[in-house]
Order: sequence, then structure tokens, then C-alpha cells
Amino acid sequence: MSTRRFVPVQWSSQVTRKAAGLLTAGLLLGVSAFASPRRQEQHFKVDARPVITIHNPNGLITVKAWTKSEVMVISTLASDQVAVDAEQMGNRVDVSTHGLSDSLSPDDMRTDFQINVPEDAELQIHNDSGSVSVANVMGDMNVETVAAGVDLEDAAGYLTVKTVGGSFQCLRCAGRIEVSSISGNFRLIDLRSYHVWAQTSTGNILFNGEFLPNGTYSLKNYSGVIEVRFSPADSFDMSATSLKGKVNNEAKLTPPTHQHHFVPKWGNALFGTFNQGRAKVELTSFDGTINILKRD
Amino acid sequence: MAIIKCEEFLSRFEPWMEGERHADIQAHLRNCPHCHAIVNDLNAIQAEARSWSSSETDAPERVWTALREQLEKEGLIRDTVLDSKRSGRQAASARWLWGLFGGVPRPVLAGAYLAALIAVAFALSGPIHKKVNEEKWLEGTRIATSPLRAELNTAEQNSALSLASSNSDVSASLHQNLAIVDNYIALCEKSVREDPQNEIARDYLYEAYRQKADLLAQMSERGENVQ
Amino acid sequence: MPEADAIRLAQQGDAAAFERLYRLHNRRVYSLCLRMVGNTAEAEDLTQEAFLQLFRKIATFRGESAFSTWLHRLAVNVVLMKLRKKSGTESSLEEITEPDEESGGPRRDFGGPDLRLSGSIDRVNLQRAVEQLPPGYKSVFVLHDVQGYEHNEIAEIMGCSIGNSKSQLHKARMRLRELLHEALRAKAREDRKAASADAGGED
Repeated sequence: MSTRRFVPVQWSSQVTRKAAGLLTAGLLLGVSAFASPRRQEQHFKVDARPVITIHNPNGLITVKAWTKSEVMVISTLASDQVAVDAEQMGNRVDVSTHGLSDSLSPDDMRTDFQINVPEDAELQIHNDSGSVSVANVMGDMNVETVAAGVDLEDAAGYLTVKTVGGSFQCLRCAGRIEVSSISGNFRLIDLRSYHVWAQTSTGNILFNGEFLPNGTYSLKNYSGVIEVRFSPADSFDMSATSLKGKVNNEAKLTPPTHQHHFVPKWGNALFGTFNQGRAKVELTSFDGTINILKRD
Repeated sequence: MAIIKCEEFLSRFEPWMEGERHADIQAHLRNCPHCHAIVNDLNAIQAEARSWSSSETDAPERVWTALREQLEKEGLIRDTVLDSKRSGRQAASARWLWGLFGGVPRPVLAGAYLAALIAVAFALSGPIHKKVNEEKWLEGTRIATSPLRAELNTAEQNSALSLASSNSDVSASLHQNLAIVDNYIALCEKSVREDPQNEIARDYLYEAYRQKADLLAQMSERGENVQ
Repeated sequence: MPEADAIRLAQQGDAAAFERLYRLHNRRVYSLCLRMVGNTAEAEDLTQEAFLQLFRKIATFRGESAFSTWLHRLAVNVVLMKLRKKSGTESSLEEITEPDEESGGPRRDFGGPDLRLSGSIDRVNLQRAVEQLPPGYKSVFVLHDVQGYEHNEIAEIMGCSIGNSKSQLHKARMRLRELLHEALRAKAREDRKAASADAGGED
């Protein structure tokens, strides 16, 4: 079911003389001629809602949606000491990178992927370092990285992202979003999500999106800044608590009217209702600063 | 009430079959044997089909046998007890984790630490009005978390060794973030000691332990893969 | 083991949890497949394929629908893909390719001979008739009338609207009625032929 086209750049018969030149240059520069990147392309026919998994130690992963019922995987491998396996089982495509010998440097292991998937694909991506970008994919997604940054645009579905130090940016996304990190910063812009749960320890969180009626928005960090922007038409119930830091608020909140509202007893806290209080917003920090600001 | 003809009845009787009742439809059915027969036929089909569910049987056992083989082949399932081949190859740094939790994957490992902490906290989390309760809570927390901290420290040392030869960017990031979490734990512990009743500080402390367990599990995984 | 625990453990690869989920749901899935394809060998293959797909994707299950609904959606998709491959056509899940449907209403069959079906329907002839239904009709009929799913559940399983589910069910039943009537008429003709052959033989 897969069509594989392997295009090793340096094997073209037209560049034989160039290869000799490259080898000389390589020797002079101390760079091995066999370190030229290799490009590999594979195609897989799939049905509705395919599942695509990618395991990669280091590199740039770019995933985009297209209208074909097909998954295309283009991998660019930095060295010949690394290989990419891409296999299809039913409606699932698994892509993984592995080293062919021990003690490879991160540069040797580097593999970049450009992957096109149907719009309703579900993605599971593990990429330790480099970056992950996904655009226009509407299926559920699970992305885990250590140091790689994650960038989602126009995504929907159940989106879960976990990084250790990588940053996270989400533009114009919908559905549910759950993101956690230790030191990564989060930018959540123009969201139309009904559930956002974002937690980072020392990173900053910027939320500048819609508060949908009945939506729940929970932003939490240990230190750093949590900044939330609102517009006059928004409607939310807000609780903002910083145990040892500050809470700065530009929203005119009315005191809560319901009896069982949790009242934090510690730190700097404010809580109240903006307009009809349709969405629920919880902002928590240990010793960071919480800013609730009007949208420009 | 308007009298309807067969043609109109046929174009409108789908909702009738779903339980909607209209007087004109009812009247037509009373007076038209042909349309009445159609409704009877559909009811008979439905009744016969409904009786099929009582004779449903399980799939033959060979279906499960073949399915299980395929799942094992694809590596989608494993037994909770480690097989001997795997334990022989395991890095010493990861053994303590697997030994404690029998090969339980990372999210459950991290959850296990958190569960242990929460169990202790709930056991002592009644209304803390009296100083006696407060002291009990502090002591209880210390008892619960001391072995946990010791385990985490040991795991940290083992994980550091195993990470020596892995991706240096990743290794650096993991170490750096481990230091962040350690600092975070120290500050949260200090807050909890100063104000044991502070639920927010306790929540942050538990979260910090969970993060540390998760990080260490990630470090061990990478060390294991390298070996 | 409760289903929720089994799902959670299965997401972590636990073999016993997988088996538990299989034991809980295999009967309905197998029955669905059997009703749709009409033979046990294919039904077994399809059951295995449906569970295989389920277990491959179980890590992505987030509990936003009932687990059984999610499983049945997978099973229906597996069966429909198989049926489409058999028919050699790429048809949509909501295929209703009956020529008489152009008018948007059920076939006008009044004025024909009034054979009563009640008393003539049995498992064998109804099963044969179900096998002749187009895949879309068959799915809705089996899910609703055989397995007892409500229209809102079928809409979720099939990825269609509730109105669509009701409409397809009605058309499925009307088509079954026609098929059963044709079978009855064919049997009546056979009986008449046999009777006249006997009468001729006696002479």
C-alpha cells in the first residue's frame, strides 16, 4: 500500500564530477562526504480518521492537512547512520527514526519530517528536540517533547501537549486543549476552545482567545506571568489566586452570586462575575503575577 | 378532521412508525385495509428482527486467540510482570522503578507517587482546628514523603548516570528542568511547613513531586534505550 | 474489572484489560458483523479486525462518547469498508442508491396483490432479505431493529443526523417488505408449478 521513492541526493549520475569535488572539499574542510542529507518519500493510502504516530529523537516535524485520502511522509535524514521506518497497519501509519550504530551525536540523529495527512487524522507525535508544527488538522492529537517547541495552527479535536522545556503556541484552535510543561512558555491566541487546561511551572502563559459559553479555562503556573485578555462582550466567572505574587485586574467583576463558590483563603485572590458569567476561568500561581487585561 | 388518501398516508407514516400519533393518520388506518397491512408488515419485520438479539452468541474463541497473537506481534499489549528476556537487558538505573511498580508505564508511575501523597493527605485532612491535628498532619506528611524523597533522590542519581551518553540537548534540558523542579519542591515544602493548612501550597507540592517522578521516568527511559 | 478500569489499563498495554474489554463487547460486535455479511467466516474476520483497530487506537479514546458507541462506530466502518470492496464501488456511508428514491418517498405499491407477510416472516427469509439491502440501510436496520440502538446513538455511530437515521431505517424496512413480498410471490409461483406438475403426473 505504500509507494516509496528514495532519492539519495549524491547518487545522481550527473554529479559524478561534482562528487569528486565534494570529496576533496570535504577532506579539506574535515567534513565527511557521506554526511550529505538523504531524502526519502513514502505514500500510504488511508481511510477516514487514520492514526499517524511519529517517534523522532531530533528534528523538525511539520504536519499539514490536505484533501487526499493519503498520508505522505517526506523525511530528510542528516546522515547515513540513521534510518526511518514507516509502516502501515490497517488505517494506522507508524513512523519512527532509529540510529544504526551506538554513540551518535544529536546532529547525526537529526531527521526532519514533512508529513501531509487527511484533515481528520489523529496524530501521536514524540519528538525530543527540534520543533513540531501542525496546521489545519482536525483530529485528536497527542504531542510529547522534551526540548522541542510545539506550534499548532487551526487545529481542533482533543489536543494534549506535554513538553519539559519546549514552548507551546496555539493559534486559532478549537476543541479541547490540555498542555503541560515545566519551563515552557505558552501562547494561546485566537482560540475557540471550550476547554483549556494549561499548566507550566516557571513558564509564562498568555491567553488571548474567546471564552465560550459553558467553557472552562484553567491556567496555572508556579512562577512567571499569567496574562489573560478579555473583551467587553465576554462573559465569565473568574477566580484568580496568586499565593505569594500579585493579581492585577482591569475587569469590572461583580461579586459571586452563587453560594458554593470556592473562596481561597490564602494569598492575593480575586473572584467575581463578568457580564453573565457563562464561562468559568481559574487562574492560579504560586508566586507569579496574574494580569487580567482588556483586549486592545 | 380532514380525510387523507393512501398517497398522503404513505408520505407521512414514517413518524407514525416512530411513535408519533395523528388523528387523520389513525383514521385512515382504521378505514384502509391496504395501508393497515403495510403497517402490520413493518411491525412484523421489526418484531422478528428484535427476536434475533436473544440468540446472539459470542464469537468463537479462535477470534480472541488470533487477535491476541496479532496484538502481541504489534507490541500493543504486554503482561504486567516483566518477562525474563527484558529484565536481563534492563539498565540498572531503571530497575528500581520497574521493581517497585512491575513495569508500569510512566504516567501510572508518576500517578502512583501522587496517589501515595494524596492518600496520606486525605487520611489526615479532617478539619484542622486544633494544634494537635496540625502537628499530626505535619508528622504524617514527613513520614509519608521521607521515603518518597529518598526513592526520588536515588532514582535521580541513577538516572543522571544513565543519561550520560544520550542526546546532549535533551540531557541538558532534562537536567535543567530537574533542577527547576527540585527548587520548586524546596519552596513548596517550606510553604507547607510554615502553613500546614494551606491547601494551595499542598496542591503545588504534590504537583511538584508528580512532575519530578515523571521527569525521572523520562530520564530512565532514555538511559534504558541507550543501553 | 469495571469497564472504566479496563479502558484505563488497556491504554497502558495491560493484556488482562484488553481481554476484559474483548469479553465485554465481542458478542454485540460479532452479531453486528454476522447480520451484515451473513456468514460466520467473514463475521469472525471482521470482528477480529474491528477489535484490532480498537486496540490500536485505544490510547486516543478520551471518554467523550460511550466506549461501546466508539467501538461500534469502528465496527460499522470496518464492515462497510469490506462491503464496499466487495461491491467494487466507492460509495459513501449514507448510500441509498435505490432508483425509486429519486422521488424522495417510499415506493408506491398500492393496487398490487395483497399478500400478508405476518405469519410468513421467519428468520431465514428475513436474513436473506437483509443481505440484499444496500450497506447503508443494512447498517441502520441491524443497529436499530436487531441490536436495539436508539437513533441518537446510531447517528453518532454512523456519523449522520438523527433525521437521516430515522429516514434510512424507514426506507430499509419498506425495502425489506418489498423483498419479502417478492420472495413470497416467487414461492407462490413455485408452489403453483409444483401443484400443476403433480396434477399432470397423476393424469
